[in-house]
Amino acid sequence: MKKTVLASLLCGAMLVSSNASAIDSTGCGLGSMAWRGQQGRVPQILAATTNTSFGTQTFGITFGTSGCDPNGRITGGTQKMVLAFIENNMEQYAMDAAKGEGETIDTLAGILNVDSKTLGEKSQQNFAYIFSSENVDAVSVTVALFEVMKA
Amino acid sequence: MGCQLIYMKKMFLLMAAAAAAWPWDLAAKEKPEVTTEWLALVHYRPQMFGGYEGTIDSESFYLAEDGRTNPVSELQASIKLFEEAKDKEKICLFPARYQYLKKQGWVNADYPKCEEYQQFVKDLHPAGVTLLFTDAYMNNPSSLFGHTLVRIDTGRKGTQLLAHGMNYGAFTGPNPGALYAVLGLTGGYYGGFTVKPYYDTINTYNNIENRDIWELNLDLTQEEQEMFVAHLWEIGHTQTRYYFFSQNCSYMLLEMLDAVRPSLQLADEFPVQAIPLDTLKAVYRKPGLVKSVNYRPSRHAKIINQYKQMNESQKKAFVAAIKEQNYNFDGLDGAEKAGAAEAAYQYVQYQQVAGDLELSDYRQRSFKLLMARNNIKVKDNFNPLTNGEKPMNAHESKRLVVGAGVRNGQAFQEIQVRPAYHSLTDNGYGLLSGAEINFLNLKMRHYDNEDKYVLQDFDILGIKSLSPVNDMFMPYSYNIQWGINREINPESGDEGYVSNLVVGGGFTFEPWENTYWFVMLNNHAAYGGFLPHNQYLGLGAAVGMFADWGKWRVLAQAEQIWATTNYGCKIKYNAEVSYALAKDWALAAEYKYEQNRGKYDVDEGMLGLRYYF
Repeated sequence: MKKTVLASLLCGAMLVSSNASAIDSTGCGLGSMAWRGQQGRVPQILAATTNTSFGTQTFGITFGTSGCDPNGRITGGTQKMVLAFIENNMEQYAMDAAKGEGETIDTLAGILNVDSKTLGEKSQQNFAYIFSSENVDAVSVTVALFEVMKA
Repeated sequence: MGCQLIYMKKMFLLMAAAAAAWPWDLAAKEKPEVTTEWLALVHYRPQMFGGYEGTIDSESFYLAEDGRTNPVSELQASIKLFEEAKDKEKICLFPARYQYLKKQGWVNADYPKCEEYQQFVKDLHPAGVTLLFTDAYMNNPSSLFGHTLVRIDTGRKGTQLLAHGMNYGAFTGPNPGALYAVLGLTGGYYGGFTVKPYYDTINTYNNIENRDIWELNLDLTQEEQEMFVAHLWEIGHTQTRYYFFSQNCSYMLLEMLDAVRPSLQLADEFPVQAIPLDTLKAVYRKPGLVKSVNYRPSRHAKIINQYKQMNESQKKAFVAAIKEQNYNFDGLDGAEKAGAAEAAYQYVQYQQVAGDLELSDYRQRSFKLLMARNNIKVKDNFNPLTNGEKPMNAHESKRLVVGAGVRNGQAFQEIQVRPAYHSLTDNGYGLLSGAEINFLNLKMRHYDNEDKYVLQDFDILGIKSLSPVNDMFMPYSYNIQWGINREINPESGDEGYVSNLVVGGGFTFEPWENTYWFVMLNNHAAYGGFLPHNQYLGLGAAVGMFADWGKWRVLAQAEQIWATTNYGCKIKYNAEVSYALAKDWALAAEYKYEQNRGKYDVDEGMLGLRYYF
């Protein structure tokens, strides 16, 4: 009873709408959504609101609504993890690579099991190679990063 | 007091359960019995008239027929499941129960190889548990009170970006529509857990919604950590009706923590409402539970922090970059250039999320700024934002006001009670600045000369968001007030009740730090049998100021209202000054003057003592 009493009092203020298309873009992260060509507008912002999870499940396993990985988890081998990470953190990695340091550099260094200072320096020195144009996608960035690290 | 009662009842039931005859003669050291641990692990809650009920709604979560209400038979059924070792699929859904029963020596059988569960643990690579709190988000009503979620810290090499965020939320489906509010409040949706990489969580809160994240690292033992993950798996497969105020995101996390450390009894502290910030405070205050606190500012906060540190020439170059796309950064030294380029880049990302940029412009600008930054080989000149005002140390959410004053020459005494949450003139430490949320504020008065007690105001909901416009950001400010108020008829001088709704919007300016000026256009709708024609509509133009000078706070506003009836046409002046005596005590003076078209203006002043609890 307490629930409904309290509850019925705030109805007026709780209206919010959303959009089905939001699932994919927020789940896959901001960077990818921008660089892939989906624009961040109101639906994304609404979709990201916290007290709501966008899932169509009615019963059973409720894990996994992240658009990129069906389980919503970080998984797989090094390459897969690097790609997923860059897909989701491209804008941050781009700036960290330009600077030669930052949290995404430390993270990638961890996944690749290399020294983070080295990764930072190589990213910075080869920035123009890794980010060859304003239309790069996560795959080409990942491939270029692997090449740079091998060299 | 309520909590104490519940606890005693629990003890009694425990004893009663222990006394119940046990059907099997197990070889274990002790006979299985219902313990506090068992009750917490299966999410049993004591009921008002005795007995227990499990919080989890999914029938599959209970192994015994009457398992939801009978902890004893559920315990028996669980032991049977593991001892018989037949139904692997089912066994694999309950790793936490197994761990507990095995530890107690009530189960001897081995746990099978559960591939899915093992993969889950492998992916998480758990190394700790962190409670996350995200600030209030004024652009979405369901996030006004903040939000909590949990991070399973990772032991992977790298950073905690590779950890996972666990969110408990309502599954609304892709198109919740207008019923969303009603269903969210009344249990019309099911709640469940979702798992996401932590970098995704950060993107959502820090970068899309521009909300700060507070990370409270919990001091759990290795065993408790393992139990937490195992338990997460157990209830990750279930669902439970979601109630916005009580069984919400935050409440469920408390039951989760109780399940791994039953002595915490966190859920007991929130029998009625679970405001996310209050649950955060409860966790923060438990002795030995939080070992460290970390702050992750939002993108918006980072940009503001950098902007504040810029000197005049850097500011100029930065503004030229964001307004005119001039990326030369002339006249700056290397560090200043680096800083201006980084801040401008963040600003472009901000614009993109806000939907203010075409994709091609976004890409072009981002790329040029990256190249500009890459050409500079020194670090920026900013100190990073590493700390903020801790929301855990904000004033308590409930407020009691005792005051005395004079209304049109009549002396009165007043008592106010407000269950949640914050007024602009309350101590704003740790809370979103310029934002207020008042919920169910009740004012009772006693007037001396007639010796009568009256309900003066019942302010059901009040939300104000004053966010200043500046070089970079052009946010709207808004105002929503809904309540039932005792008013004076300007013609007759009679008093009666009117239901008022005010919805308005405008802009706020911050000419000096922490001093806001605002202009708003308000729509008024009034309804009530007391009104001359039962109702009126009005339009109000308001101008006001709000200042937050530490212990002193001032809020003043003047509003001219044009309405469809003479009754509603008036000019209202309001002023409030408060002084914080301590974190949870304040003195406040309020004055209001209403000039209308009748004979009876309203002229009212009050002095009050505010207590937060």
